[in-house]
Amino acid sequence: MLTVCPYFHVHQPYRVKRYRVFDIGNDNEYFNDSSETDLNNRRIIDKVANKSYRPTNAILQELLDTHPDFRFALSFSGTVLDQFEAYAPDVLESFQKLVASGRVEILADTYHHSLAFFYSVPEFERQVLKHKKRIKELFNFTPRVFRNTELSYRNDLAKWCEDNGYLGIMAEGWDKYLGWRSPNFLYHPPGCKKIKVLLKNYKLSDDVAFRFGNQGWSSWPLNAETYAQWIHAHHGDGQTINLFMDYETFGEHQWEDTGIFNFLRALPGLLTRHGDTSFKTPSETALSYDSVGEIDVPDVLTWADTDRDLTAWTGNDIQKDAVSTIYGMEEKVMATKSKELIETWRKLQTSDHFYYMCTKWSQDGDVHAYFSPYQSPYDAYIAFMNALSDLQLRVSHALALNEEKALAREERKLVEVKTATALEVKPEPMPNPTTWQRLKNWCSQVVGRLPFLRMIISQKH
Amino acid sequence: MYTCYDESEPKWPRFFSFMRILTFGWDFPPSRNGGLGVACFGLTRELSQKGVEVIFVLPKRQNAVGDARFIFAEDERKVKVRQVESHLKPYNAADSRVYFISGYESSGKPIIKSRTIVEEAHRFAHQAALIAQEEEFDIIHAHDWTSYLAGVAAKIASGKPLILHVHATSYDQAASENVDPSIYKIECESFAIADKIVTVSSFTKDLIVRKHGVNPAKVEVVHNGCDTFIPTRHEPLLQGLKNQGKKIILYHGRITIQKGVDYFIRAARIVVDVDPNIVFVISGWGDMTSQIINQVGAMGLSTHVIFAGALWEEERDRMYQSADLVVMPSVSEPFGLVPLEALQHGVPSLITKQSGVGEVLVHALKVDFWDVDEMANKILSAMRYPVMRSQMVNEGRRDLDRMSWKEAAKKVHQLYKTLLQYVTS
Repeated sequence: MLTVCPYFHVHQPYRVKRYRVFDIGNDNEYFNDSSETDLNNRRIIDKVANKSYRPTNAILQELLDTHPDFRFALSFSGTVLDQFEAYAPDVLESFQKLVASGRVEILADTYHHSLAFFYSVPEFERQVLKHKKRIKELFNFTPRVFRNTELSYRNDLAKWCEDNGYLGIMAEGWDKYLGWRSPNFLYHPPGCKKIKVLLKNYKLSDDVAFRFGNQGWSSWPLNAETYAQWIHAHHGDGQTINLFMDYETFGEHQWEDTGIFNFLRALPGLLTRHGDTSFKTPSETALSYDSVGEIDVPDVLTWADTDRDLTAWTGNDIQKDAVSTIYGMEEKVMATKSKELIETWRKLQTSDHFYYMCTKWSQDGDVHAYFSPYQSPYDAYIAFMNALSDLQLRVSHALALNEEKALAREERKLVEVKTATALEVKPEPMPNPTTWQRLKNWCSQVVGRLPFLRMIISQKH
Repeated sequence: MYTCYDESEPKWPRFFSFMRILTFGWDFPPSRNGGLGVACFGLTRELSQKGVEVIFVLPKRQNAVGDARFIFAEDERKVKVRQVESHLKPYNAADSRVYFISGYESSGKPIIKSRTIVEEAHRFAHQAALIAQEEEFDIIHAHDWTSYLAGVAAKIASGKPLILHVHATSYDQAASENVDPSIYKIECESFAIADKIVTVSSFTKDLIVRKHGVNPAKVEVVHNGCDTFIPTRHEPLLQGLKNQGKKIILYHGRITIQKGVDYFIRAARIVVDVDPNIVFVISGWGDMTSQIINQVGAMGLSTHVIFAGALWEEERDRMYQSADLVVMPSVSEPFGLVPLEALQHGVPSLITKQSGVGEVLVHALKVDFWDVDEMANKILSAMRYPVMRSQMVNEGRRDLDRMSWKEAAKKVHQLYKTLLQYVTS
């Protein structure tokens, strides 16, 4: 028995336009580039929708229709969902249709594709909650397996997930932590009892995600038969093959002319042809198998670069500066209580902004250059920091305004109290009535109530 | 080095390891003319280290010979500096005139005559043909356009292969306007005759392929290098200004149309409007100096722009070390050593995308020369975010090691070897 657990990550950031020093204090829009460059977010969504989302969703739908066993998982950042809603509602609908099949699971994530867990847990929690609500609203689905931005993972994150009721969490199956062990089993984090760690089989995943179209690769061109054989070869030495990759692998990172679509179309049929092979979603996987051992990851592990750590986002000085500046603003931004400012601040937390500032120039560096819409890491940093400076300005204005309002409110209250006390006319204190007076009052009241007595008294007079 | 049986090195008959190169140039340190002499010096030094014998032919200029001998005192056997009777001056237009003393009257009064630079180049070529017949060598290597004709003449006289080393073209010098037709003609004719052409950047390679119709297969790119030592720190200049919290932006180079100083001044106007605490220093001299001074006055920048004159050696180093950012606003720069020098002194640079050095220097800010708004934006951003400046210096310095003259000489040496292989086979 071998199960395959495919999972595709769907994400697009809000790229910051070429925001200049002169714009600080004059322009509140950081993400509305309208040029013909890759900084234009709407243009990117249009482009990737045509190259990847639309054709791939059509194939996935077809696969769900024709293979009753086929199942897989998706994760969405909130930023990509918002952009689908605004720029390509049909793409969102096609995703909703996939999920409605009941065989597509959605994973929990941070709304803004941020690294918040490593800088501010309360902020991280707010983003996870926001994401959960959004997924419920759009797909009527409640995620039960967690994946963090860039598959970043650490023991304490797993602990957090267990404490918050998740069945499983995803991580890179990296040799440094696995040692001789295989990623094709489930593991548990130290100190956790319930939660299971699903490890990415990076060799098989990256064969598709990175190497598929590389003509210099010894296995190029890779066809679905060969790939299915590679997976079947794990019968007997594993329980689950976790194939985790960017959704945009299909049609965007690997273009159509590489044959990636035909590969995807053919694979499920070829995999299930082997009687003992089937598909499982991540939560099914987590529920089906027991942990075979503990995996201890005390330092941050990610799925990026050959380092598999956070250095692609926080490796150099400008990245560190940008990250510490943005998370340093948390208290003030939250104090504004302004939805708009908080949302903008969060959009700037998206990890891609820091990735564009990377200056590692090895083979990884080429990958960074391919994915960056900026001409240099310094251009990325300048645009980001200028936008952030403007946001800081807006935050301090908002705080000053709030303070003013609070002051005004206080003043108004004070005035009200004063006028109230001034207007209030204190009634003369009534002298305590004596018993005789009370009796008299009572008598006159009784007389007043009873007409015949009134008549008798008046006749007497 | 060829006696070992290394697969990567072709096995040569022993006499080729003493290859002798007849080199023509017109500028050599410590003359104070700019990057070209520095490049010839760095390349020659490293080639000698590799066992290449260099005969360096310079047009006659005062001090040049003595100074050059002085510099290569240790390597005297290998580098032989020859002088010829010519009066070439670098960086001149074709019709600019050269004045020289042709003799003396009986009263002792000198007789001063003048010739154009093109005439001088032809005279240099005439001498070169004679030297080529007198000397023994394997390859001819001519640096920059004033030496092209000399190289061609030497080739005709000796039949040896010719390499032309392009440090700049008529298009760079004129910033693409009013290209000097007589220089252009010399370039085209010489490029056609040369066996190989070396350019200092892909930027220049593209340019001569496009503008001069050179076959790209004939062109080899050898990026200039840079000395990798860390220079001594000096007492900074303009301490008074710095104490007032002013930031200093430096331009260092000739003040000519090619260098784009006018764009720099226009960017300065925009910068000062946003942040009046920034001061611009212009170190250099050239035929556009008075125009730039007028421009500064007309734009109301007199209090923000300082003209430091041409600075050299220690003064130049002190200026570099005092600056917060160095700007090289060139309209067309085949290579551009200034940002590398600045890095050595611990200062980051802003360069234009029309600069060859940008191909090897990643850690610099880059703009199009005409985009003065963006130039101003990047200057201001660099001043706002000191972390970015320090990172450009720290990471850029690490890259400098890859850009040594040794690397450049290695490529040139390889080229010599291929050419000789071709000749012998």
